[in-house]
Amino acid sequence: MSLNAVGIDALTYWLPEASPTLAELEARGTVRGAAALASFGFRQARVAESESHVDMAAHAVRSLLDETGTPPDEIDLVLYAGALTSSTTMECGPAPAGSVLHMRDFMDFFKYPVSRLQSEFDLTNASVAGIDQQGCAAIFSAIRLARATLLAEPDVRTVLCVSADRLPHDASREVVYNLVSDGACAMLLRRGVRNRIVATHQVTKGAFWDAGSLENEIIAAYFPTARTVIETTLRKAGVTLDDIAWVIPHNVSLRSWEILLGLIGCPREKLFSENIGRVGHTIAADNFINLRDATDAGRIRQGDLLLLFTFGYGLNWSCMVVEH
Amino acid sequence: MQRTILITGGTGTLGRALVERFAGGRDATIVVLARGATSAAAGAMPPGVRFLGGDLRAGRTLGIAAADHAALRASVTDIVHCAADTTFNRPLPDARAINVDGTSAILAFGAECPRLERVACFSTVYVAGRSTGCFGEADVGGRDGFVNSYEQSKAEMEVVVRDAMPRLPIALYRLSTIIGDSRSGTVTGFNAVHHALRLLYQGLAPMVPGHASALVDLIPLDFAADASHHLFERAFGPGSTYHLCAGAARSATLGALLDATTAAFERHRPAWRKRSIARPALVNLDTYELFVRTVEEAGNDVLLQATRAVQAFAYQLAYPKMFDARRAEAVLGPAGIEAPRVLDYYDAVVRWCIESNWGAAA
Repeated sequence: MSLNAVGIDALTYWLPEASPTLAELEARGTVRGAAALASFGFRQARVAESESHVDMAAHAVRSLLDETGTPPDEIDLVLYAGALTSSTTMECGPAPAGSVLHMRDFMDFFKYPVSRLQSEFDLTNASVAGIDQQGCAAIFSAIRLARATLLAEPDVRTVLCVSADRLPHDASREVVYNLVSDGACAMLLRRGVRNRIVATHQVTKGAFWDAGSLENEIIAAYFPTARTVIETTLRKAGVTLDDIAWVIPHNVSLRSWEILLGLIGCPREKLFSENIGRVGHTIAADNFINLRDATDAGRIRQGDLLLLFTFGYGLNWSCMVVEH
Repeated sequence: MQRTILITGGTGTLGRALVERFAGGRDATIVVLARGATSAAAGAMPPGVRFLGGDLRAGRTLGIAAADHAALRASVTDIVHCAADTTFNRPLPDARAINVDGTSAILAFGAECPRLERVACFSTVYVAGRSTGCFGEADVGGRDGFVNSYEQSKAEMEVVVRDAMPRLPIALYRLSTIIGDSRSGTVTGFNAVHHALRLLYQGLAPMVPGHASALVDLIPLDFAADASHHLFERAFGPGSTYHLCAGAARSATLGALLDATTAAFERHRPAWRKRSIARPALVNLDTYELFVRTVEEAGNDVLLQATRAVQAFAYQLAYPKMFDARRAEAVLGPAGIEAPRVLDYYDAVVRWCIESNWGAAA
């Protein structure tokens, strides 16, 4: 494997224990259309009770460093990706009614989750940064920047990418016909390792920045743009869908994936969809939770080409082809 | 001999254009039979055209007064039957009321007219329904079923017409989809194509069933009127069926039409580009139906209305076909009447739609 290639060397995730069913979520008032969500492939969500998003990120990072035996001082760069505005500051919840951020002091604005992680894990050699305003595509943007940095700066050898998001307490978990969960993932990117990133592509459409007032237009824009982004990524990678062994999805509704697969002409069997029902849509971490589970389940063989696609508000469509 | 030409549906898109053409002749009295005829509609007619309020759904009385009925019966020499319900997704019984029963009524009336010489009945080339490939002028539609109630009711109408052909001098004119005037782009009758255009403009049409290479046959109103008027007046062929369509050479592919549509939006409304609206994806029918079902299950009213508006028209795109028009072209060609290439006037039609806000400002 070329040392000029960058890959995802190791990957972990963390999900809250609580996994209420659709019926339980409906009883709590955080889901209204349980029947429709069930028909779209959802069964349960993962809901953080006491953990903040930073706690979840820390769980994922601790697991990653322990599992790989990576000394903290090997980390040269940390990129912390958050989809929600509340994910970019320390304090998240419980927030007062009608609020997401819970700031008690002006200086709270400068309490950064990524700095807290650096401190907690003694990442003394690392520089750190936050990636936000990418919606659910935040971790894809972090990976893209990590890869570019590794290719451009020889002294950067190991990049830690982290993503964690949790909804405020009692927030609706039903967003545009999807069931939203809390969760975090962490990964190490290095040169010359497995899960080589063959190509990435992102399209951003700022015209849809006011997502709340353009829901129908966003649904309509999603599918044709997703197809274009996937096709462009495949072209950049120099491969076709026939070469792709698995589609590793973001956990939006199974139904929308079936429609998108129809658009791109991809067999349903290539979609790793088991987690959509049991995990739900963890905002930014989905694809990498799925990549880890598919790997652990022995579904992916060495050399398999994987297509990872996600979509985030903003709007952002992001895709990458990875060689396992 | 003074002719009396009875035109049904004379206030509709094609009917109005034909009234103008027939009214230009010197030897004919024109009588327009229209449902709910108003003084405003009557006033919009050329001078000398007589307006008669009636309703074909009333049966052979045509819903007109007995005295008018008797006088008309005695004088009519020509019937031009344009009245139709062209809504694609009307409940079938409602579509049949005008398109089938109304045709039966006008033909029954015609059978009682001692001076009758010619009858024109208008249908659609889309009686071909779900069949694919080449559909000829002598072919009978509906072998593979229909995409919408309009097609089915028109195919049933043709059965009524063919049954009457041995007794009456009838020519059948099957029209392609009319989208506007080729010279000005003016649209006088909005149909499913224009509704689909508006949804594209609003960014509410994520996908369209069909192949990029499938030909879409569209014609302008002026061609439809000129061609049918010429065939009726100069080369009447009783018992014959004619296709008035663009044909393969002058049609555009679905992909080219979508490109032309977005190009026209950008050209005539530069601000539209800023909205980053994606060109709809072309998909197979299964995928499109899955999307429609999903929108229904989600209970999204806006997208539900949008998909239903596209559905009735767009489903036809999933059954690619061409229309053989050799019989019509053999007559029209020597007269110099041919459909223009759709891409030569399509931009003007889209522009008219945008600038009139789909007729709201007209």
